[in-house]
Parts: sequence; C-alpha cells; structure tokens
Amino acid sequence: MADLDRFRAGVREWCAAHVPADWRQAQTGATQEEFVSFQKAWFQELRSEGYAVPHWPREWGGGLSSAEQVILYQELAAHDAPRLVLAFVAIHHAAATLLAAGTPDQRRRHLPAILDGEIWCQGFSEPEAGSDLASLRTTARRAGDRYVVNGQKLWSTWALSADWCLLLARTDPEAPKRRGISYFLMDMRTPGIQLRPIRQATGEWHFCEMFLDDVEIPATQLVGAENAGWQVAQATLSTERGMTMLELAERLGHAGLSRLLDTCRRASPDGTPLAADRLMADRLAVFETEVSGLRALCRRVVERHELGQAGPADASIVKLYYSELLQRMTDFGTQTAGLQAHTELEKPASGSYESGAWALDFIGSWEWTIPGGTSEIQRTIIGERGLGLPREPAVNS
Amino acid sequence: MSAELAEAREELRAVARALLAKSGPQPDWQLLAGSGWPGLEVAPGLGGGGATLAEVAVIAEELGRALAVSPFLGTAVLGVGTLAALRPTAGRDELLSDVAAGRRRVSVAMATGDDAVTGDAAPFRVEHAGGRLVLHGQAEFVPDAVGADRILVMAREPSGVPVVVVLESARLRIEPQPVLDSTRHLAVITADRIEADEAALWQLAGDPGAAAEALADRASLAVACDSLGVSQAMLAATVSYVGQRYQFGRPIGSFQAVKHACADMLVQISVARELVHEAAAAVAEGTLGAAAAVSMAKSYACMAAVEVAGKAMQLHGGMGYTWESGIHASLKRAALNRSLFGSPVAHRQRLARRYG
Repeated sequence: MADLDRFRAGVREWCAAHVPADWRQAQTGATQEEFVSFQKAWFQELRSEGYAVPHWPREWGGGLSSAEQVILYQELAAHDAPRLVLAFVAIHHAAATLLAAGTPDQRRRHLPAILDGEIWCQGFSEPEAGSDLASLRTTARRAGDRYVVNGQKLWSTWALSADWCLLLARTDPEAPKRRGISYFLMDMRTPGIQLRPIRQATGEWHFCEMFLDDVEIPATQLVGAENAGWQVAQATLSTERGMTMLELAERLGHAGLSRLLDTCRRASPDGTPLAADRLMADRLAVFETEVSGLRALCRRVVERHELGQAGPADASIVKLYYSELLQRMTDFGTQTAGLQAHTELEKPASGSYESGAWALDFIGSWEWTIPGGTSEIQRTIIGERGLGLPREPAVNS
Repeated sequence: MSAELAEAREELRAVARALLAKSGPQPDWQLLAGSGWPGLEVAPGLGGGGATLAEVAVIAEELGRALAVSPFLGTAVLGVGTLAALRPTAGRDELLSDVAAGRRRVSVAMATGDDAVTGDAAPFRVEHAGGRLVLHGQAEFVPDAVGADRILVMAREPSGVPVVVVLESARLRIEPQPVLDSTRHLAVITADRIEADEAALWQLAGDPGAAAEALADRASLAVACDSLGVSQAMLAATVSYVGQRYQFGRPIGSFQAVKHACADMLVQISVARELVHEAAAAVAEGTLGAAAAVSMAKSYACMAAVEVAGKAMQLHGGMGYTWESGIHASLKRAALNRSLFGSPVAHRQRLARRYG
C-alpha cells in the first residue's frame, strides 16, 4: 500500500508540474493542425514519464500494474489534464489487436511507431452496417501476395490525421456473415483511399467517410487467419473498456461534478445561489450519488478483469450507464446555465465530454449513446449475455 | 479489500443463503443465534463473532433477498450497534453476551423517519428529579420491539447530549403498528413520564452526538442492504419468468421491450451494489466521508428497489398483480424501506449540505 501511496504522490507531483494550466483556453477554437500538434506533444510528455501507454506490457514500454493505472487516471482527472483523444485508437484498439493477434513482425513494426506518434483510425462501420456490423459489404479480394479492397467505411474517427487504419473487409462473400470477414492493417497513404469529413451535431469534424477503390494491401498485413477477422475484432474491441471507462468516470466525477456545482452556485434572479434551492440541491445530490456509483462500478470492473472474473456484460453495463448519466448531467447543466449556455459556440478540443460549455456538451453526449454500440444494442447485450435471456428469433444470419 | 476477506464474505453469503432457503422466510431466532448471526459484531470474549459491520451487511442483504421475517435489524444491527457504542460496563457486556447467545433480544427506540437522517432529533427526553430519572417521549415505526426483552431508548439530556436509557420492555407502552409490509414488525413505543433508577441511564462513548449519528447511519445502511437484496431477488424472479412465459410463439424475454427493461434493472442493481458495499466498508472502517457514502447508498439502493420491484410486477403481467404471486410483498417491503430511516430526499439534503 505504501508503494501505491508513493506512486500516487509521484503522479500528483508530475501533474502539478506538467499539466498546462491554460490548455482548455488554448484548445478552444483550435485549428485541426493546432489540435494535432498539441495532442502529439502531450502524448510525448506523458510518454517520457511512462504514463502514455501504462497498460501495455513492460517490454513494449508499458508495465504499470492495474492498481497503478487506476491511480494514474484518477490523478490525471483530478488535475483536469488533457485527454489523449487522437492516439486513442492507436494505444487501445490497435495495440490490443497487435498484441492479441498480430505477428511478431507486425508488433515490431507498429508498437514502437505508435510510441513515436503513429496515429490510427478504425474502418469498421459502413453505411449499411452500423449496429449490424457483421453485415459489412466492403470486399477484399486475394490477388497473389496482396488483397484488393473496395467499398465504403463510415464514422472513422480522426481518419484525416491517421497514418494507419484497422480495417474489416469481407474475404468470403459465400460464408455466413461472421465467418467471411478478415482483419487488415491498412496504410493510409495507399493509393485509392479517399476521405470525406463528416460534420457532427456539435459542429466539429471528428469523423470521416472513407471510400476504398482498388486499394492494395499486402497479405503480410492480414491480422489473424483469413476469414477470422470477426473473432479478432470481438476479442480486442472491448478489452480496454474497463480502464478507459474508469478514466472517463473519474473525469465526470471531477471536472464534470465540480463544473455542475459551479454552475449551480450562480445566483438566481432573487440573488440566492441556485444550489440553495431544495430542488436544485436534490438534483445535484442525485448526480453526485450516480457518479460515485459509476466510479465504484468501474473500479470493480477493472478489479474483476484483473482477477480473470470479468462478467460477460461488464463492458456494456458501464458504457450504458456512463453515457446516459453523461447525457442527464449535461442536460441538467444546460438547463441550469440557461440562455448563457447557448452563447458558448465552441468547446475546447482535447477534452472529454464535460467542458462546462453545457449546451455543446449535451449535444455531444449523443457521441456516447450512439457510437461504440448504441444504448439499445448495449441493453440487448446485457439482457442476453448478462442475464441469459432468450435471443431474438433470427430473421437472417 | 484483501482476496481472503472477500472470499470469507462470499462464503458467509453462501451459508446465509443456504440457511434461509432451508428455514423458509420465517427463520427461528434460536436457529440464527446458533449460527452466530445476532453476535456477529460482538467481541469473541463476549461470545460473539468479532466480525465487522461489513459482514452484518451481507446478512442484511440476504435477509432482504429472502424477504425474511426476522428481528435481525432491531436486535443485531441496531441493538448490538447501540450497545457497542456505549461506555463499557459490566451490565452492558452481560447484555451484549446475552444478545449474542440469543438469550435476550433488544430493540432500539429511536427516530425512524426523516428525522433519523441527522441524528440530532431524539424522540425521548430525560429529566432528573430527586435522584431518579424521568423519561418522556414517543418513537414510531420501531423495528422488532414486540418480543424484545429490553428496550434501548435513545434520549437526550436537558443539555441536549444523547444518552441511552435501558429498560425492561414491560416498563414501556409498546403497541404494534401494522403496516402494509407484513414482513416487518414495527411498533410505537411510548414513555409517559416514566420514573426509573439513574442506573438505567447509560452513556455513549466518545462524542455522543457523533455516536448517535453513526447509529442512524447503521440503520440506513442495513435498510439499503435489505433493499439491494430485495432488488436482486426480484430481478432473478423476473428473468426466470420471462424466459418461460410464451406469447406470440416466443418467450417474452426475447422481446426487446422486456429484455431492455431487465437490462436496466441489472444496471441499477450493479450501481446500487457498489454504493452499498462502499458505504458498508466506509462505515466499518470509520472512513472520513462514511456518512455521505451511507446517504448515497440509502437513497440510491432504496429508490432502485422500488423501481425494480415495480418493473418486476409489470413484467410478470396479470400474474404479477395477484396476491398469490407474492411480488406485492417485495414491492411493499421496498417501498417501506425507502421511507424507513430517511427518505431519499432527506438523505440527499444531507449530501447537499456539503455543497455550500
């Protein structure tokens, strides 16, 4: 325990010295270039202290214990540090995929490069394959020592800044839909890739459409066996969810709650603080309770994962609860801040989802209830995998 | 929490669940005493188990799950908790060891409504006159007073300091107070200017105000545990029912509307469980912020239980609304729990006092 206390003290000291005090201001209205260079610089700061990829194996530059990672994310949240949003797919999904199913060559090629700033995006969803991801239609046809890919991908986050892409494509159109998909590493400089940014409800541009026209991928960039891509994706998509959700829960508990309290301490028209009103105080106490429950639940999920006792619906439960709580909290913040909330036309990049620009945070909360499996899909997973309820009768398969 | 401790608690839970499954919903008190339940927290030297409130919380949760009728709350949670908070005397130790052995039962006459949340409202007053004490006041909804041998009366001195007056139950007027929830035995306890020996007045150890508040927190926590147990039983019953009940040629649990409602129940229970376990650990370890943790657990778990039991009734359809199904009993217990020892609103007001 003393070791963990020492570790916490070290993280605190580091945060106090390194978290830029004015980053929110600087990142509000930042251009894409300013955002990317800030993200890369912050990543290198964290890396130099061993804080960028704490969850990786030691041999690749990580090696913090699960208990240390929890402390790291608690302290980063407590110090309101910027989030690693641009490197997110690289350090979580790409790394998990490479470590679980990549070849030694693939790992050697990419894991050190990610530490040096290689950015990854995901090419999973398609216009006709959203919640029903396994029905994806992008094809990869084997031609000698390469595959030729054609199709269209959607909701690819930060694709414009990405060097590489995790790509799912159909290699056997005759097989049942989950048995004909392969998993590729795609170099984003390959000819035939066209990107079109999609503006989202908040006015920001995080996502892209991706058009793939005879894109050639060397067969050495296949991950796992041909036609086993669905299994690779299933195994690696939610591996990091416990810890990444814990980070977000901590941020909601620190910045989120304290901004909500600040908003409620504002004077009402009669001059008394809004928080002194019994109804307002009651709502605040509900949020404090729910956030505390979420944080405890995330700690438990991480602990269970560590002990090899993860429940089949753990990831879905925390994702569902976090996203809907975020939506309720930002809704309440928007109501409480009143008209003023609507004058904040931009919120800082590099943050999470509780910037204090309540109306934009509220609109942005749908970025959690829809992507990564909608709340409806999560409830189905919880019902079927968590509670063992009967599945829907299949219409097709 | 260490792995061994967690394992020991899970074992206690399994044993408790098996015992309650075997005994049925009205376990004999002597049987529970034989298993060491009343004396879980009592020191081993007095014949107790030397465990903590965290173990008591496990039993409270299992009693809720079984919808058991038992004086555990009044005697083991509140009675033992009150006695343990007193300055040690020979009389106190004797009573503790009697309670642990199941020879005597006690009940605590204390505030049980929203006034319980702060611990500063005492329903009884003591005065001193001619070397005797005079006790006056009334407490409603007192758990497990009927059948108790001694009543521990939470009272206040004229100075406002909380004290405990320990009386044979025959000295007080104890009237059963029927409530919709037939699984709880509550009573009104009245002291109409009763005279007693000064020796009946026992002092709380340490800061008496803090001790009184801690006692109210224990009560809240135990009720939160009970509600958590009720919720889990209701979800299990619902999942089983919707997996077997067929309509439109398929189990109703395969319909999204039903499945998603069950998923929401599981999410609420998962959150409630963490809040309750955090609060139990905080109170058992005397952590700073334990009071806030209790208020969060009490308000959330007791609200959740009513919602879960209500949804269970809904998903059981017409059968769920019948007396025979028994779901009404869980819903009534959950609704009573929600109000007992402070409503969610009262607990959240206590939380909000920290917001400034």
